[in-house]
Amino acid sequence: MTAPALELRDLSKSFGLAKIIQGVDLKVAKGERHAIIGPNGAGKSTLFNLITGKYAPTSGGVYLHGENVSGLKPFEINRRGLSRSFQITNIFPNMTVFENIRCGLLWTMGYKYSFWHMISGQQDVTEKAEEILEQINLTSRRDLLAGTLAYAEQRALEIGITIAGGADIILLDEPCAGMSHSETALIVDLIRKVTEDKTLMIVEHDMGVIFDLADKISVLVYGEIIESDVPDAVRASVKVKEAYLGTTLEDEGV
Amino acid sequence: MTIASKTPLTAGTKRLISLSTVLPWAFAALFLLILPVVFQTSSALTIMNQMAITIVFALSYNMLLGQGGMLSFGHAVYMGIGGFFAMHVLNMVEYQGLWLPLPLLPIIGGMFGMLFAFIIGSFSTRRAGTVFAMISLGVGELIAACSIIIVVFFGGEEGISGDRTMGPEFFGMDFASQSEVYYLTVVWLMIAAILMYLFSRTPIGRIANAVRDNEERAEFLGYSQRNVRWISFIVSGFFAGVAGSLFAVNFEILTEENLNLATSGSILLITFLGGVGFFIGPIIGAIVFTLLQTVLGLYTEIWSLYLGILFVASVMFFPGGFAGVIAMHRRPLSLGKLHLLTGPYLKVAIPAVTSILSLAAVLEILFHKRHGFAGDGAMSLYGITFDSHGYQALGLAIVIAAISLFLVSRITPEIKAAWDEANHAGDDQ
Repeated sequence: MTAPALELRDLSKSFGLAKIIQGVDLKVAKGERHAIIGPNGAGKSTLFNLITGKYAPTSGGVYLHGENVSGLKPFEINRRGLSRSFQITNIFPNMTVFENIRCGLLWTMGYKYSFWHMISGQQDVTEKAEEILEQINLTSRRDLLAGTLAYAEQRALEIGITIAGGADIILLDEPCAGMSHSETALIVDLIRKVTEDKTLMIVEHDMGVIFDLADKISVLVYGEIIESDVPDAVRASVKVKEAYLGTTLEDEGV
Repeated sequence: MTIASKTPLTAGTKRLISLSTVLPWAFAALFLLILPVVFQTSSALTIMNQMAITIVFALSYNMLLGQGGMLSFGHAVYMGIGGFFAMHVLNMVEYQGLWLPLPLLPIIGGMFGMLFAFIIGSFSTRRAGTVFAMISLGVGELIAACSIIIVVFFGGEEGISGDRTMGPEFFGMDFASQSEVYYLTVVWLMIAAILMYLFSRTPIGRIANAVRDNEERAEFLGYSQRNVRWISFIVSGFFAGVAGSLFAVNFEILTEENLNLATSGSILLITFLGGVGFFIGPIIGAIVFTLLQTVLGLYTEIWSLYLGILFVASVMFFPGGFAGVIAMHRRPLSLGKLHLLTGPYLKVAIPAVTSILSLAAVLEILFHKRHGFAGDGAMSLYGITFDSHGYQALGLAIVIAAISLFLVSRITPEIKAAWDEANHAGDDQ
């Protein structure tokens, strides 16, 4: 049996006395599209930051293909094949759209810290970057500064940078935040297209997007996973309903 | 800056070097060759050498500030260290018979600049921003203090000096004459500038930009922000050391002044004035600064005051520096609307120049009045001799300044309108 692509074992994170993540266990199989939902402040972003190495866990571990990566730096985790996007658009605003994508390619294409290659002469990088631009429909924006793009385009670029390096595990943090209905539909199509054959973990508030995309859904409430199942089971779950509407109902019941 | 990367068609071509990249460098080389034929005096050569050294230094500084987003307050350390080691090697050539042709000296100086950048960068580049700036300031102060204390190496307050002519001849040149030194300096200027330009086009050079823009994102793309900054820092240290060696060759003396905070501050000023966002920016900044310092310095004692005003004005109104102002005109040029600006520019030129000259006159008269000998009020300005202690001249200067500034303020809206028009594509996008 192969190890799951991503596994969290009893993962906890406290900031001082505040326990943000309290013993999360989760397995994401290879090729699965896994969504994390939960009310505001449930710790979804913190969970992402733990997985990607932005924060070190207080206890427990993060395993990529069976290898413990907890405590490693973001760039070390990225080199092991995990890439993420950000809730707040996180691109290189003063570089062109093309260069943004190219930055996402350089490490995995083996250029690393090279100062003996002329970047414009590297046909392979240029072609790959053009290809990704085509995929995310930004070819026409190629030479514009990324900071000047429209919001939805920046979100698409964000995804482009994330997938550029060819990581096999992709984490998307609210890719559709702040988007109109039609823009959301485009982004969902894009996500489906670019994460083909990859393991995807996504945090999103838009339930339409979640139930459309996900193979499995985990519900995170107050730092704990209360349900992790296929979409239909989650939709039917009483615990989940309580979590989203529950606290007020309970209070009324008392 | 290259046009080559602007169009998708040419960017993908296999040509490693395009004409549009080579041409400016060829022109620059030609220009540098012709320059000493036009300006033959020894003082002109000294100014040009100084300029070349400052350009190398400023370009190396911009590898940190412009390319890597590191605001250093202590970059003179690496130039100074490079220069001091170069000077010691020069003395070893003279006294211990070390065989080293003078043109190779900058490599030695560069190596030492690099070594120190390697050591200091190992802890200073962990973080950018304020932390990096404060460490650079601290290290700058530390090394400057050391230079007074460690007399054996830095020579105390007198510094150390040497003789560049004692080494083996290099193709019949002993570098006793100023013009031979000029050619040595500009050859190194070209080498250093081309290498630094090429560095900015390498993967690490581009990622340095990425880390500058967004260090967190770069980390999530597999790059250690610290290593990226460290590498830029080391390479920058090398070229600063080259600049220091060229200084040693030219002036044959190095003192505490070469690595103190004032020098570090002025290179920041030069680079910013020229424009940090463009490769050519520091070059322009270094040329303008050296001209102001040397030529303006001949005419007025308060040249540094003008420089300060220029700096403040630049930060406030043109944060892109000189290169930024030039680059602002690229869009009107590409739209073929540059001619819309010439009219308003010509119109504002006379009042603008008048206001600058008359404001300078006010400062000069006040300065003369304060510092002139008692009873000796005779002052000569713009070819006019008058009494600086009287109120007529001062009053006149103020009135002219006020009128010309008023005219400038009246023309400004017109320029703004012309500017908007010139930048408007014409058809909807």
